[in-house]
Amino acid sequence: MTDPDLLVIGGGPAGIAAAVRAADAGASVMLVEMRPALGGAFHRRPIEGVEPWPIGREGERRWARLDEGLVRTGIVPRLRTAFLGLDGAGAALLEDRVAGRVEACHPRAIILATGALESVRPRPGWHRPGVVTAGGLQVMMKETGRIPEGRILLAGSGPLLIALAGQLTARGRPPVAVVEAADPFTEMVAGLGLLAHPRHLAEAAVHLGRLALARVPWRRATVLEAITPKGDAFEVRLRDRRGRRTTLEVDHVALHDGIRPNDHGLPAANETPGAGPIVVSAGDGREVLGVVAAEIDGERAADRALALIDGRPEATRDHLRRLARERHAQAVLARVFAPARPLDPLETLPDDTVLCRCEGRTVGDLKVLFTGADTPAGREIKLTGRFAMGLCQGRFCAHWVAEASARLGPDAPAPRPRDLTGDRWPARPVPIAALAAVPDAPKR
Amino acid sequence: MVIVGAGIVGVSTAYFLKRAGVSVRLVEARAPAAAATGAADGAVSVASKRPGPMMATATAGIRLYRELTAEGVLDGLFFTRSTFLVAVDDAEAEVLATHAAALAASGVSVERLTNERLRALAPSLSADVRAAAEVREEGHAIGYEIVRRLIARAGLAVERGVRVDALVADPRTGRVTGLDTGAGRIEAEAVVIAAGGGSADLLGLSGVLRARRGQLLVTERAPALNAGLPGAIMSARYLLSKASAPGAAPAASARGYGLVIDPLRTGQFLVGGTRENDAARPDTDAEAVAHILRDALRLVPGLASVRLLRTFAGLRTAVVDGLPLVGAVPGRAGLHVATGFEGDGICLGPLMGRSIARLLLGEDPGVDLAPFDPARFREGRAAA
Ligand SMILES: Cc1cc2nc3c(=O)[nH]c(=O)nc-3n(C[C@H](O)[C@H](O)[C@H](O)COP(=O)(O)OP(=O)(O)OC[C@H]3O[C@@H](n4cnc5c(N)ncnc54)[C@H](O)[C@@H]3O)c2cc1C
Ligand SMILES: Cc1cc2nc3c(=O)[nH]c(=O)nc-3n(C[C@H](O)[C@H](O)[C@H](O)COP(=O)(O)OP(=O)(O)OC[C@H]3O[C@@H](n4cnc5c(N)ncnc54)[C@H](O)[C@@H]3O)c2cc1C
Repeated sequence: MTDPDLLVIGGGPAGIAAAVRAADAGASVMLVEMRPALGGAFHRRPIEGVEPWPIGREGERRWARLDEGLVRTGIVPRLRTAFLGLDGAGAALLEDRVAGRVEACHPRAIILATGALESVRPRPGWHRPGVVTAGGLQVMMKETGRIPEGRILLAGSGPLLIALAGQLTARGRPPVAVVEAADPFTEMVAGLGLLAHPRHLAEAAVHLGRLALARVPWRRATVLEAITPKGDAFEVRLRDRRGRRTTLEVDHVALHDGIRPNDHGLPAANETPGAGPIVVSAGDGREVLGVVAAEIDGERAADRALALIDGRPEATRDHLRRLARERHAQAVLARVFAPARPLDPLETLPDDTVLCRCEGRTVGDLKVLFTGADTPAGREIKLTGRFAMGLCQGRFCAHWVAEASARLGPDAPAPRPRDLTGDRWPARPVPIAALAAVPDAPKR
Repeated sequence: MVIVGAGIVGVSTAYFLKRAGVSVRLVEARAPAAAATGAADGAVSVASKRPGPMMATATAGIRLYRELTAEGVLDGLFFTRSTFLVAVDDAEAEVLATHAAALAASGVSVERLTNERLRALAPSLSADVRAAAEVREEGHAIGYEIVRRLIARAGLAVERGVRVDALVADPRTGRVTGLDTGAGRIEAEAVVIAAGGGSADLLGLSGVLRARRGQLLVTERAPALNAGLPGAIMSARYLLSKASAPGAAPAASARGYGLVIDPLRTGQFLVGGTRENDAARPDTDAEAVAHILRDALRLVPGLASVRLLRTFAGLRTAVVDGLPLVGAVPGRAGLHVATGFEGDGICLGPLMGRSIARLLLGEDPGVDLAPFDPARFREGRAAA
């Protein structure tokens, strides 16, 4: 394998835009994507033999442009190839999941365009098999075209819930209800802010219109408190704005509490030439600004990386102006979806609520660590409490464990999720046979 | 009394002092078990020790673990099990035979295993293994768990984030009277340095202490494969890398590859490692990890489809002559040191902590500390 100038991680809009921009500027580029198809969270392409999911005319146009860029520059993405991180010797490790082999590669710069991670708040029963994330459900629909049989409930908070509900409805499978913890559009001022962003407003209007037509209840200022198995189905308990509790019986629960940058286990940014490869992050992996911003940010990141390795000029001003506009839109959305009531996980969760799904560690297990004279720090919480130590490497729980720990030990410095997850490779679990295939480095 | 460093050695010292009713302060630059103690395998083991003082002290170290467990102090944290020394070629088989004989000669319960017996005991092992010995009555304990337990049992409040910058001494007598720290000066009647890799700077022993990096790997759970290994598997090559076996040459490669495959109680495996001189940072690299894994696959082929979850590294603090540094620091009244345990500090930590505590209380330490006397590095004595 010849080492490229630039290694781009992630085949979403940010990664593709970065790769195309750098190739257009004459750099040699390698683009890797761990999933079987390009597209990322929004433009996720179906697996072979499945019809692409409709994403609207504007979305189709954006995708066509990205695709055309790849064709024009001749970049052949390496699919089913996962970036595992940078090792102590500065090598970028790539797991080729087709060949079952890990390779070490030495690019001059790396662009991390790994997108966003979905947040899901722990609640009693959230860890049960059959409870999925809204994003997971969406990926399944986009990749396979399939929607699971039975009654679906969407719950949590954020615009994705309505988007997914709208998509399900358009496919003739409206959800039983959408349960939203926030109370969007009660605050006029926040809502009016969206008028400045007609694209977002129009999208929301389309989805909400579909839900209204299909009479899907949008239960705002309501939280899903607990999920209990009932036969093959689930009974979910809801609490509304007045504290009234109701139950519903459903077959599937899809949870979602917003998205945040996916920097899980990945190397920190490095803009110092000579100190290992340059690392620049882009798109939702840097800052969650949405699909349009991701493309702009990919181009910005490519310019930045090339400026750092070759001193090429950057054309940043226009990029930054357009990003600022998307940032404003996201800020408005965040205000619209601000929680109706502050959510304190420890106040509302019983001690037997599972925090770490991989190892079954609970809220009570965490509280025990804070009972002595000595308040543990982040890494001790991880090691002695066995939080963030399972197969997901803390992807699901580190965030909440850090947040809850800050409340349990208010006098100690608040632990960061990174204190729990660490930032060592491998960023994802990797089969031993694949890793054993890394050859000894040539003597330098 | 002030103890510097909340690794297993400093925490054990504080624990035994508190138990004797002495009030102590435990100052720590980062957090408990932040250095070697939190990055170790937990072999509480004599199997790899060199014959002589280390073998004898390790045996006493295991005994103390057993006592503390019986008293309930380390309940649920220390587990007895065997270590299996294995060889895949002639050179390794020879080392194995010599070492097993040395262990037996110093009273350790060790038995050479026939191939049939080995297959029955350890079905996960490869047929390539041609010689094996079982070392009995060994144990396993996880450093950070021991530290956390001892802190809780003693009711210690570790002073985290307090780095000691220098010792304060009476200019006339040389007597140590306190410490300068990032959080100001601390007065002390007696000071114990148990600062691992930070000890050299505080004591002016940079020529005597050095860092030896070890890289370790942790897999996901693989219960069936794990059940097919009744104890830690230690390649005879590990003895070569550690230069434990009599007559063994120092580590053949700069990396000091050795191999221990440790079936953890969670169903996971801990696999290590390296013994690298002069590595500045505790990080891991794919070349070393791949090398370790290839060796591991040769012994336990079933690992091929198991996924690796984490890699991590620690810096062992080693003394140039291979023996720890434990006792009063010559010419510096009021100052004791306990460090330099290299790859054996989990096994020896509680025992050495108790020994230092006893010295400070004016009691007999209960083990022979003469070979570890810091005075051996006084100017004009042993060459550093
Ligand atoms: C679940 C979910 C649903 C969303 N739904 C919408 C929506 O309906 N509408 C909307 O406007 N926005 C949505 N977004 C936001 C959307 O992520 C962004 O708008 C846009 O996709 C960001 O583009 P990106 O290129 O930064 O990241 P992504 O499009 O997410 O692309 C990142 C890519 O990197 C790959 N990757 C990650 N880690 C590695 C690795 N270690 N090695 C190799 N490849 C890796 C991923 O597989 C992915 O393909 C959603 C986000 C999420 C997480
Ligand atoms: C990879 C690896 C595997 C190992 N496997 C085993 C094994 O299987 N069995 C075994 O018995 N041993 C093993 N060991 C060895 C064992 O981990 C060490 O010998 C032992 O942990 C040393 O403990 P310590 O308390 O002396 O030092 P440390 O744990 O290093 O503690 C020293 C503490 O002092 C603090 N400190 C340093 N400088 C200052 C300062 N100036 N001011 C304040 N605080 C300071 C540090 O932050 C640290 O917390 C292994 C080690 C490694 C690296």
